[in-house]
Amino acid sequence: MIRLATDVGGTFTDLVGYDEVTGALYSAKALTTPRDQSGGVLDTIAAAAGLDPTRVGFFAHGGTTVINAITERKGVRTALVTTLGFRDVLEIGRGNRPDLYNLRFQSPKPFVPRHLRFEVRERLDAKGQVVTPIETKDLTAIAEACKAEGVEAVGIIFLHSYANPAHEKVAATALAAMLPGVTICASHQISREWREYERSNTVALNAYVQPIIQRYFARLEAALAAKGVECPYFAMQSNGGIATFQQAVDRPLTLVESGPAGGVAGAARIGQALDMADVLYLDVGGTTAKCSLIRDGRPKLNTAYKLEHSRLYPGYPVQVPVVDIVEIGAGGGSIAAMDLRGSLRVGPQSAGSVPGPSCYATGGSDPTVTDALLTLGVFDPATFAGGTMALDTSLARTAIGLVAGPMGLTMEDAALAILDVAFANMINALKLVTVQRGHDPRDAALVVSGGAGPALAARLGREMQARCTVIPPHPGIFSAWGMLAARPRADFRTTWFARFDPAALEEAKAQFGALKSEAITHFGRGVDADIQYDMSVDVRYRGQEHGVLCPVLPDDSADNLAERFHAIHARTYTFRLDAAEIEITGLHLEATLNTKTITLAPVSTEGRELKQSRKGTRSVYFQSLGWTECAVHDRDLLPVGPTFVGPMLIEEPTATTLVLPGQIVTITRTGILLINEAEAVG
Amino acid sequence: MATDPVTQEIIEGKLIATVDEMGIVMARTSMSPVIYEVLDFACGILTPQGELVAQMNGITLFTGTFGAQVRSLIRQFGDDILPGDILLTNDPFAGGTHACDFAIVRPVFIGGALTAFAINVAHYLDVGGAVPGSVPPNATSVFQEGLRLPGVKIMRADLLSAELVNIICENVRLPEIAMGDLNAQIATVRIAEVRLNEMVVKYGAVAVQAAFHHILDTSEAQARASVAALPDGDYHATDVIDGDGVSDAPIHVRVTLRKRGDRIEADFTGCPSATQGPINCARGALQSAVKTVFKALVAPQAPSNDGWFRPLTVTAPDDTIFTARKPRPTGWYYEGSVHASELVWQALAPLRPERFSAGSYASLCATYLSGTGNDGLPFIHVEPQHGGWGATAEWDGTAGLIALTDGDTYNYSVEVIEAKFPLRVNRYALNTDSGVGAGQYRGGYGIVRDYEMLEDGCMLHASFGRTRTLPWGMAGGSPGTTNEITCKAAGTPIRTYGRISDLALAKGETVSLITGGGGGWGDPALRDAADIARDTRYGLLTKSQAEAAYGPLGVEP
Repeated sequence: MIRLATDVGGTFTDLVGYDEVTGALYSAKALTTPRDQSGGVLDTIAAAAGLDPTRVGFFAHGGTTVINAITERKGVRTALVTTLGFRDVLEIGRGNRPDLYNLRFQSPKPFVPRHLRFEVRERLDAKGQVVTPIETKDLTAIAEACKAEGVEAVGIIFLHSYANPAHEKVAATALAAMLPGVTICASHQISREWREYERSNTVALNAYVQPIIQRYFARLEAALAAKGVECPYFAMQSNGGIATFQQAVDRPLTLVESGPAGGVAGAARIGQALDMADVLYLDVGGTTAKCSLIRDGRPKLNTAYKLEHSRLYPGYPVQVPVVDIVEIGAGGGSIAAMDLRGSLRVGPQSAGSVPGPSCYATGGSDPTVTDALLTLGVFDPATFAGGTMALDTSLARTAIGLVAGPMGLTMEDAALAILDVAFANMINALKLVTVQRGHDPRDAALVVSGGAGPALAARLGREMQARCTVIPPHPGIFSAWGMLAARPRADFRTTWFARFDPAALEEAKAQFGALKSEAITHFGRGVDADIQYDMSVDVRYRGQEHGVLCPVLPDDSADNLAERFHAIHARTYTFRLDAAEIEITGLHLEATLNTKTITLAPVSTEGRELKQSRKGTRSVYFQSLGWTECAVHDRDLLPVGPTFVGPMLIEEPTATTLVLPGQIVTITRTGILLINEAEAVG
Repeated sequence: MATDPVTQEIIEGKLIATVDEMGIVMARTSMSPVIYEVLDFACGILTPQGELVAQMNGITLFTGTFGAQVRSLIRQFGDDILPGDILLTNDPFAGGTHACDFAIVRPVFIGGALTAFAINVAHYLDVGGAVPGSVPPNATSVFQEGLRLPGVKIMRADLLSAELVNIICENVRLPEIAMGDLNAQIATVRIAEVRLNEMVVKYGAVAVQAAFHHILDTSEAQARASVAALPDGDYHATDVIDGDGVSDAPIHVRVTLRKRGDRIEADFTGCPSATQGPINCARGALQSAVKTVFKALVAPQAPSNDGWFRPLTVTAPDDTIFTARKPRPTGWYYEGSVHASELVWQALAPLRPERFSAGSYASLCATYLSGTGNDGLPFIHVEPQHGGWGATAEWDGTAGLIALTDGDTYNYSVEVIEAKFPLRVNRYALNTDSGVGAGQYRGGYGIVRDYEMLEDGCMLHASFGRTRTLPWGMAGGSPGTTNEITCKAAGTPIRTYGRISDLALAKGETVSLITGGGGGWGDPALRDAADIARDTRYGLLTKSQAEAAYGPLGVEP
């Protein structure tokens, strides 16, 4: 059986396949087809040499259909039905103005315009009790208006529906009957958490993209079937797990960070293979770098995810589980420039793939991180991207000269300076997900992927004092690879409020029991399904608004759990309040179906010899040493087991790994590159 | 000595990351809704001389207060600033704002040398005084506004002063919350110390100090260049403040901006003396109010520091409404200081229209509802109201946005409020009844928020400004609309308020908090017919409102 994954990115669609019987590996790249992404997916299948589609037994897919429909504002005409008096909540949002001194600030525009936001007479209180019964006559008028306006999807959000969804269910059933062919989506189906604006936005966006993803998956399914790929199809979700296409169509917003989540799932799998439970994952793309932390083998989730959010823009909060990814504007294409203050800036502007870094000779003329890596000898102009793209060193040097001159530095030192700034930006982000959240990076393996990632990894690992630095297999198409490592997963979060005591803990455990039943239904594999449950509660000191997520073990006593909470609070925020009262505000169940994922099989040792792997030498410029000869090796031919001493360059079709002086590197039996400090190992 | 451009960039990045980290810890551990929802706090790092080099993105009220507060502590303590100290001040008359704002200042010593100050200023939910929340809208003296601690050592040798903790706990209504916030504040300045230490270890003390000075000097140079590009001249603005909380009488205020070369002086001479009511601000808050708008002029998006403000001087005689002295009340200082901001804003807007909008609802419309909570304990529900901002030369004003004095400030979730307090919100909507200033570009809409009391014994304190004087229009645009509070009980006529103290509310009564729309920009006759039609279709504008503002409407396209 072949396991196959395809990942649709902005420029390229990647394919990775693995034959579990023969151990054969397939990979392919094709241009993304933006109008209908299934075209690019089919192109990769056609381009994968030797791949027999009929032998595919598992198909995972990550794509940007959902995020593109949102960022390009190309969802369907959507209406929103709210409690009387609250149709403007979606437009007012939270009313914050993070761009403090911009006196022309504009709030995020709502995805549903005001005349398509309708109100219904109904009201529940915070306990979910009915204050005003729902007036179904109001729904009839709304259905008529939706027909007249050509509405294709309707979201429903009533106050306190997280506590009692009854009114939303009545409205959904009635509207579905009156509006055949129109997508109807009630907030409790997507989120059972409080905060009406966040839930309104969640249901509005879910409705807005649902018909789009439904049509897309239908096209993709038909095309795959026509190619002979007939097996269960899975979509990569933002929570690091997969779901069937049908489950994804029901809750399309869970696909919003599909691509990056694939890489996170892959990094977790690499950590498992190395027997390292904590992994710090960094993916360096063309425009940005994304990092996230995996603790105890599980990706951390962001409990307050916002689309299009920045330091100066509120963005659009959505209540769906998304892996906690910190993204910064530092990638291979990031442009270096002197700013008005005379400081060297790198990013967030990027040369991207068009026009591309100067050395691509495709029209770019700004100095980029890639130009710096070429100038310093880390990249080989002839073998870059497997030799498919010859780089122009003189164009790179000309571009670097634009910042070298003003700084009074040599070409080489200017290139180093560009990398120094890029490193500092990446380290700030890596620290944000570790040190600043109370986790010690020295406990974690730093797994680095992405085109430029492996060239930068060794230095990042050294500065972060990571436990070791890891270059996984296929670092250039790692998100697709990661999708082969993902398991079916569903997250159940509910707002549930209790003063913490032994009775509340028992009640919470009972609530978790109910959520587990939901999980069993979700996976549809019967009561005996092998499901891994991870329970946690949102806990806080009385008076606080924000809690910390605290794991709950099945046999926890109240004292155990309280102590765990105090410790997490202290680790995260530097202090604990032992005498203060504790409150629970939410329950979170992660349910993962224990299915087989990609095997990290031992790599073939045949033909792996130093004299085969050694491709020659290349001069690389280091800060302390100046130009230094480095051996260049082919990753796929490096012998398994022995350690090699840096400096050294290790090339493969999608990436070049630089090992620094003072570091040693090993290829594991499963083909993973491990970089350590020579000194630390002794 | 100057740092190299690379180290400079790296240190600046780390400083911003540090103040942001301080902010995150504060918001996530605080026990006070004024902090975690309203974000009425700020964190910063200053040079050993007390010049701000980095500040978190929070609210604008603290734009210029940090430097004045820290320099005031330096003057007060002189050589008696020691490793292990943490200083506390909440004195409005020593660079601060009002007694509710507790400034926690950590002198950061590294290798025995004073390297920086880390500061966290946070609004405490209650600091004692005449009413819950400590800001009676009709206070006539600072002594009604709670406990003042003008420069004390809350920590020596990293140990909390038991005496001071005792004084605080015995003088505030909600001591647990106060102690929670004190803990959170101390955690943030300690984090700053750890991060600064890491910077010094990595780059050296000399490089870090050089980086501080480079930040200040380059910001100053950019600010001077920006000011120099404006035409020299004197620019004037006048405004009216609608009552001080004790008296409803209009208060006429004015500014003269003198722009000469690369400098600007904001002269408030001619403003009336301090008022009886608590909307006065002291000099520190005035400085901050002017700096806020100056920053919007010269570099709205760049990180804030004291270098930007070196070309700016603020002149005002002592003990005016903007330079109140002890014992004048300053509890609602931002209701006064926002008008200092708006005066400067009005005067500058014609010079650089691409940086400014027309007048907004302006007043933070802070609302205090207190009573007994669903858990049987006393509660104070504090929230600012969001409102309509003015139009710009290129687009319509923004609806339901927080006032200038705040910033990254959230409205309060209705679902969360109803779970905590015996209150029901029956409406949170755009205020289409009052409308907005018409213009080629129209103002943004205000909001209406209706609170129904579910229990007897609730009390309302609030101070809504701009209840009579309309937000100004620009370039021929019409003025916006007013803020107001209305109160409805069965069988009684609707009552209307602006600044109101001790309003007892019975079960079943409804308080409507209503904010106004922003001013328009440009001649309403120039408004695109499609924009008028869209607003009508959206239900923002009735036909008669549209015709009154824009003249007879053509046939809808």
